[in-house]
Amino acid sequence: MSRVRLEHVWKTYPGNVVAVKDVSFGCEDGEFLSILGPSGGGKSSTLRMIVGLEEITKGDIWFDEELVNKLSPHERNVALAFETYALYPRLNVYENIAFPLRARGQSKSEVDKTVNSIAEALDLTDILKKDPSALSDGHRQRVSLARALVRRPNVSLLDEPISHMDERVRAVVRARIRRIHDELKSTTIYVTHNQAEAIAVCDRLVILHQAELQQIGTVDEVWNEPANRFVASFVGEPPMNFISGKLESPQHVSILTKGGKEDFEFRGEVDPNYVGSDGISIGVRPQQIKLSRSKGQEASIAGSVKIAEFQGDNAVLTVKLENLDNSEIKVVVPAGRMGGEGETVWLEFSPEIIHLFDGDIPIIQRKRG
Amino acid sequence: MVEVSLENVSKLYGRKVAVNDISFSCKAGEFFSIIGPTGAGKTTILKMIAGIEKVSSGEVYFNERLVNELPPQERDVSMAFESYNLYPHFSVYENIAFPLRAPKIRGSLSPEEERQKVEGMADFLGIVKLLDRRPVELSGGEKQRVSLARAMVREPQVYLLDEPIAHLDARLKFSTQTLLKELAGKLGVTIIYVTHDYREALALSDRILVLRKGEIEQIATPEELYHTPSSDFVGRFIGEPPINLIDGELVSKAKKTFFKAGDDFSIQIREDLLGSMEGAASQEDGKRMVRLGIRCNNIKVAEDRIGDNSFQLPVYAVAREAESSLITFELKEVFLQAKKEEWVNYALSDKVWLDFDQDHILFFEKTIELTKG
Repeated sequence: MSRVRLEHVWKTYPGNVVAVKDVSFGCEDGEFLSILGPSGGGKSSTLRMIVGLEEITKGDIWFDEELVNKLSPHERNVALAFETYALYPRLNVYENIAFPLRARGQSKSEVDKTVNSIAEALDLTDILKKDPSALSDGHRQRVSLARALVRRPNVSLLDEPISHMDERVRAVVRARIRRIHDELKSTTIYVTHNQAEAIAVCDRLVILHQAELQQIGTVDEVWNEPANRFVASFVGEPPMNFISGKLESPQHVSILTKGGKEDFEFRGEVDPNYVGSDGISIGVRPQQIKLSRSKGQEASIAGSVKIAEFQGDNAVLTVKLENLDNSEIKVVVPAGRMGGEGETVWLEFSPEIIHLFDGDIPIIQRKRG
Repeated sequence: MVEVSLENVSKLYGRKVAVNDISFSCKAGEFFSIIGPTGAGKTTILKMIAGIEKVSSGEVYFNERLVNELPPQERDVSMAFESYNLYPHFSVYENIAFPLRAPKIRGSLSPEEERQKVEGMADFLGIVKLLDRRPVELSGGEKQRVSLARAMVREPQVYLLDEPIAHLDARLKFSTQTLLKELAGKLGVTIIYVTHDYREALALSDRILVLRKGEIEQIATPEELYHTPSSDFVGRFIGEPPINLIDGELVSKAKKTFFKAGDDFSIQIREDLLGSMEGAASQEDGKRMVRLGIRCNNIKVAEDRIGDNSFQLPVYAVAREAESSLITFELKEVFLQAKKEEWVNYALSDKVWLDFDQDHILFFEKTIELTKG
């Protein structure tokens, strides 16, 4: 298994279309890295350059200490599994998995040993004799994965491997993918446009948007310290809410409502030059807002529940803030506390959930730990 | 605004039964969803209500009026199709305006009024910019919103919406779902809504009908459906991740009854649950077997022992969610998933304690096959 490093990598297509712009990041040996972003953001081009299917316009890609820019996909020894990765229809599962080994000229007993061990890791032992046409989606995907992994690749690249799979099995397939990674101690790069999926499986996230690297970090870092407003909105569903406010002091931000000014304390350091600025964006995640049905001691904003959407264990409330130009804010509450539409509620933002942005740029520094 | 009732309705295509003797009624002003897997008969039901398909037997009523023989245009329904069915030679504006120009209504709206209605609906659904375009210039998601706008622009007796937001990308789907709920609330009109996505059904509906192979499996409010599914099929169809289902043996020891699935997994079942458990149990190879259902958020997970009835399992994998973790365990026949309201860092094969909240345990007869996926 290898460490993968991209250094100032560019991809430009004819007509000066920049698909990847000066992107640098590393994936450690044994790490599970998700590359996340909206479609057209540069994910696929990046992936294809790592695999060797796409020429690098500028910059370097390293596997450990080896520069791989000029190596063919075969020489890089990477495993690539797509969701739609076609299996050989005339070969049974065993033969599909054995194919890359036979192509390398391995002996019959070697092939047998390797196929059986990967089949066991992926729980495919019972279906080795079946033909691809007789398999469920989940099985087919695992066979494709087995065939990719059986070569003991330096890196496994999974490109949207489950985005069209039946929802019933997705949670289990994610668990399996993570398990396989942990068991084989492989280096895995997982590409998806689905933020929930990216978060579910990875150690760290790389977020690409408009050809540029937006942030690389652990799930914790991306969730709690988004590098910019795009990341703050893109990760999380429903997305982060934004309300305009004024920085009153290095510890307080205020929101001016028809009912008066509400002061909210926040945690972390802010550049003192911002004190006195209004037009600061206050970001709060719907999952972290505290909702009360009576006004408490803490600073809060009043609103009324416009729409309540039951989701099972949770409910998503759309709260209309009458004192704030009828703007709307989303709050996620446990389903038992959903209440009814039309109810008056108070929203509290505790110091640690407040994010502040000047335009796109976050302006709070938080101490780690 | 009408009540829509189906009485003993069946639909056959040749000898194939698409809908088998179903009866239900959707109250006036109700948001009523029909959910089920592909091929269950959802769209067929909708088309019979619209009058696009004839019923093979049975009756369809709008209030007390039998409508079996009425053509679609006389039923005063408005329908959005999953396939959009936009008029290719019309602009988006003309497509949305089309129902307002139908013979029955023609003349009743001035051009000014028409423009107001069309633009109002387009604005609401965020497609004003598209009004001058033609369908061929639109993405699938845009076409779908145009189709929805066309269905919602006039006020019929009943709206029939077939997967109206299925093709929108995730974020747009959520926001459009909220808009649809707002619109439904404002109009207060009868809406029958077909979807395969339980999320939409739970969020939008007053009541939900679960359809399985042309038959009714359950009709209930979203809360009832989620908390007390009538079968393993319904439980499995509603919720992400789906409800945990475990097959096990009933074992009695010293006046106590245990549910046992493999060697690692045994819990004592509370006395007040024994009745419902016995009711669902069946004899297999000389053993009393039953299927237990529990949602992932009703299983407590901790590093230390939780109570008398808790047991230990090795961690198979951990997945993170917005503010919680989904922990997977491997049993002999199935995977078990439990939610913890914090981010945990369990290592592979760490043994942790699990405790089932018996207030939320359900017992089912086996009507679906379980696999490890």
